[in-house]
Parts: sequence; C-alpha cells; structure tokens
Amino acid sequence: MRRDLTLALLCAASVPLGGCASYLVVAPEPRYAGQPHEEGANSMLWSAVTAPYPGVVAEPCGDGEQLAMVRINRNFGQGLVTVLTLGLVSPVTVTYHCASPAPPPLGDFDTGSAAE
Amino acid sequence: MPDPFPETITLKWRDKTEWENWHHTIREPIEGIYELHYPPDNPQTTPAVLNSCTQDIQLAIKTAKARGLTLRAAGSAWSLSTAGIADSGIMLDTSRLKGRVKLNDGNIDPAYPGDDSDRRGLFLFQCGNLIAEINKLLESDAHRRAMRTTGAANGQTIVGASATGTHGSVIGRGAIHDQIVGLHLIVNEHRHVWLERVSRPVVKPAFAALLGAELIRSEALFNAAVMSFGSFGVIHNVLLETRPRFLLDAETYAPVAFDQDLRDLIATLDPSTHPKLKGKGDPYFLQIVVNPHSADAMINVMYERGWRTSHIPDYRMKAGKIGPGYDSLSVVGKIFEANKQIIPPFFKLMEMFIDKKPRTGSWGELFGYKAPQTKVGSGTVAVAHEDALKTIDLLIDLNKEIGPVPLVFGLRFVDRSDALLAFNRFDRTMVVSMDGIANGQAETFFRVSAERMEQAGIRYTQHWGKTNAYTPDRIRAAYGHGRVDSWIAARHQLMPDPADRAVFDNVYIRERGLAG
Repeated sequence: MRRDLTLALLCAASVPLGGCASYLVVAPEPRYAGQPHEEGANSMLWSAVTAPYPGVVAEPCGDGEQLAMVRINRNFGQGLVTVLTLGLVSPVTVTYHCASPAPPPLGDFDTGSAAE
Repeated sequence: MPDPFPETITLKWRDKTEWENWHHTIREPIEGIYELHYPPDNPQTTPAVLNSCTQDIQLAIKTAKARGLTLRAAGSAWSLSTAGIADSGIMLDTSRLKGRVKLNDGNIDPAYPGDDSDRRGLFLFQCGNLIAEINKLLESDAHRRAMRTTGAANGQTIVGASATGTHGSVIGRGAIHDQIVGLHLIVNEHRHVWLERVSRPVVKPAFAALLGAELIRSEALFNAAVMSFGSFGVIHNVLLETRPRFLLDAETYAPVAFDQDLRDLIATLDPSTHPKLKGKGDPYFLQIVVNPHSADAMINVMYERGWRTSHIPDYRMKAGKIGPGYDSLSVVGKIFEANKQIIPPFFKLMEMFIDKKPRTGSWGELFGYKAPQTKVGSGTVAVAHEDALKTIDLLIDLNKEIGPVPLVFGLRFVDRSDALLAFNRFDRTMVVSMDGIANGQAETFFRVSAERMEQAGIRYTQHWGKTNAYTPDRIRAAYGHGRVDSWIAARHQLMPDPADRAVFDNVYIRERGLAG
C-alpha cells in the first residue's frame, strides 16, 4: 500500500516537473552588464518556423556589447504545450545578460600641466 | 504624459519597474534605470573621459532631485540586502564604467607615507570595474601586482563590494575597503570631492584638479564615506593600494572533526594546534567551514609563495561533468521547507562533492569565476575573536533547537578597519558566514541568531550587503554612539542640503536610523 502510494506520488510529481528544463550558456570570463533581460520564444512546425525572427535579438545590449550569459528555460506549461502539440509548437523563455565592453586601455595622467 | 528622462550619448534611460539582485533573492519596485556608458570606441582613460562620466552622473542626480526621486548607484547587483536599492527611485547602472589609471610618480604627493613598492602599486579604478577585471590587470606581466584580499567571488564591482564590506579571510589584513586610499565621491549635481585620510595623503592636489574634484583630507569624512553603502552619493572612482603579485598553495581538508584540535585552531589561529596544519608555516588565508548538522568541518588553507615566471594565470571558467543547475537551490529550498529532516543528510551528501585537490594559483585564479546560481542565502555576523567559540557553539545549539536549517557556518578572520561602520570593527574579527539556501528557514535563523547573541551578551556586527537584522539599536550597540553619530555627521557635512541627502536616503538606511 505504502509502495503504491509512493509510486503514485512520484508519477504525480513527474507531470509538472517533467516539462521543466533549463540550459545555460555562459562566457568563460563573463562581464555581466546591468540587469538580465527576458523574452519568450517559440519554435513551431518542428523548428521550420521561429518566433521572433530570426530569434531573440538582444536589442538592449549597447554598442560593442556582446552576451555574457544566455539561459533557455522551459516551464511546466510550455512543456505541456510542446507535448500536447507533438512538437508543433514549442515555447521557451530566453533570459540573457549583456556583457559590458572590454575595459579601456590603462590611462596615465599628466599632472605636470595642471594647476597645483 | 510625463517629461522624458534627459539622456546624453553615454547616459541612457531604460523603463523598468523592478530591480532584481544577481542571486534572485530580492526584487524591489523602481522608477527606472539610468545606464551609464563609457564613451564609444573605448578610448584610453583620460581626465576628459572621466569628467564626462562625472557630468552624466551629476545629470542623473539632478534629474532624481528635480523629480523627488531617490537614486542609488548599482554595480553587479551582487548584494543580498536592499542596501543598494533606490526604493521606487532611479537605479544608476555603473557596470559599464571601467576606466583605469596607473598613478605615476608625478601624481603622488611627496607626503605619501607608502614605500617604493606601494608607490608603484597605486591604481585608480572607475566604479564599474569588476573584481575579476582588476585581478587580471594587476596580476599581468605588465604590472606584477595583486589585491591583498577580496571576497570569495569575483563578479562584484569594486565599489559595490567595498561599499558593503566584502572581506575575505586573510590573516592579519583587513577587507576590500581597507585597500582604498582615495575616493572620488559625487555628492550632488554641482559638487564632487576627492577624499583621502590626513594620515595617508596620496595624490597631489593637481591630480584631484584634473578630475575637477575638491580635494579634502579628513580622517572623519574618509572613514565615514568609505563604508557607506551608497548613502553618501555616487562613488565614481577609487584609488587602490596593491601589493606585489604572489602565488598561493591552496589545500582543502574535509571532512575534519569539529574536535578540540579544531577548537584550539579557531581560538588561537595558531596552525601548530591542528595536526593538518602543523609544521606547514603560517597561512595567508584560512577558512573553516562547520557543518552544524554533523560533527564535521572543512579547512581551506592557503600559503603564500613567490611568483614563478613560468606560471601563466588561467582565469577562465571550466565546464565540469555534472553539478547543480542554475535554479537548483530554488527547488531544493522548497523541498526543505516541506521536510526539514532531509537537510542533515543532504548536507552530508554534499561533502562528497568538495574538491580536495591541492591547487596553486594567483589570488585572481583561486578566487575566480563561479557557476552562476540563484537563491543563494547568506547572513553574516562578525564578533571579536575572543568570542569565537562561544558564538559557534551558540549557532550550533540554535540549529539544533529551531533547525535543521539549510546553512553551514563559514569562519573567516579579518583584521580591524578604521572605517566607522566597518563590518570588521574588532581588532581581530571572526566572521561567521551562514551560507546556504535562501528560504524561510534561513531567514528565520538569521533573525533569531541576532536575538540569541544579544541574550548571550556577545557584541556583534552584521554584513551590510547580506541578509541582516539590523535595527537602529543594534547598530548603536555594535558600533557605539560615537561612531554612528560621527558617520551621520560626516554625511551632513558632505551633503548639508537635506534635499541632497534625500536623494540618497532609502528604506534600508531609514529603517536603520541612518537617514535624514
């Protein structure tokens, strides 16, 4: 009886948890700039169509900024949609962190010309 | 339609309604974010570049003041407290300001008391420089220098880390803020000052003049502003004193028994008292982590070695085969709240994953990049070294009484700071970092531990940048009325206009009796 109950609980837990997944890409020397940005993304028709197009564009990242980190997250609801549509619609949430530009060259101040 | 927030080519307004810290443990409403950008094309750091950034910061302050908003400068959003958050106000994102200058002999005041090595190791860093970037610059062949200490992480900005009291555990040394010998502080839209101690003058007046800053040498003002968690204005630049670069041999012993030998080591910091450290010399760095759920502990010890020219630092993060996921602590924290009895076996299991391989590396390598992780919980108290064992015993007993809680206790040792509200305020400070998972159990433990330490008559301070239970009374008990009143007086002296102070008041300092 107890074993059956445990199995039932495990099966019940697997439904919401089974759809959850998170994948992280991070620079080996990340220079995180500001706050992370989050956007939904959708792969449709078994990746024949993508929304947004051509993908998530990291518009908040300024001139000369690349990406420090990208995280793809699929929650239970998104996983359920993927399963129920047999992969026809597969939504995820993309979180990315802009990377600040590399530090500038070292300065050398000339105090000789400034007023004491 | 409200007026748009004024912008420049290097000061950008971003509409955002919430600010979240790096570890996703704090989320607060804000009016929006002002992003500061270094000039395009990344030119060499010159006075003109820094002065242009100063003007941007002053425009942001002026805008906040005109609109009756608070403003706080933010770096990496690393803090686990709300010290750096402008509640419902403007967050000034400084993370892209990475100018740096090496001082030359012509910049240094003849009265500077440092020796030749110190003179060669003075660097000005703009507020957005990461600890990681500073380590890499200093330890390069071009400069052959190093920071004396940092925290365990390297993702904080230099100003964010220092202004909240990040400390490390270097025997006989202070914390990050104790390496700062000059502060460029912007107090309002018109005034910015260069602060130094009278006892340690560093730059010639001409250097401050290049920045357009008013040079003030004052023990009282410097010691207040250097540890002010954003309350004195915006710290635009800091001047760091560094040391010659060095290597460390790092060893980890785990598990070791929390027995009389370890208690003797904690009580005396004499390495000959512990069989693992006996005969190996004096450690440069020592940390002891106590698992309160078992009789186990871990010792991290590092010994200073000379730099080898054959050593090429490698700072890059490496991928491992398997490990905890980005959100793992969030999941585990919830499971623990449902059933706390699994906390002790979980922490015992975690001991299996401790990397015990000896390592040799530079400071920047050994305290390098770590896997990003959410829901990290940490509340930290500091006590006089003579109260070390009494404090640990109290915390272990408290865990038995109200726990188990998802925390371990990291013991670190730091020397006293002259900063008025420095977390490391005791001659030899023992820091107990209660580290683990941010959930309700940990929050309760942080709160109750403060109460119990008071009942036990243990004088303690709390880390400004971590979860803390500071009240006005507790701050005054920790530091004494003289220090607290001097800190407030210094703030009033630098910002005599209440409207200027109001810009940098936030709930955090109001609730702690430091605002106004």
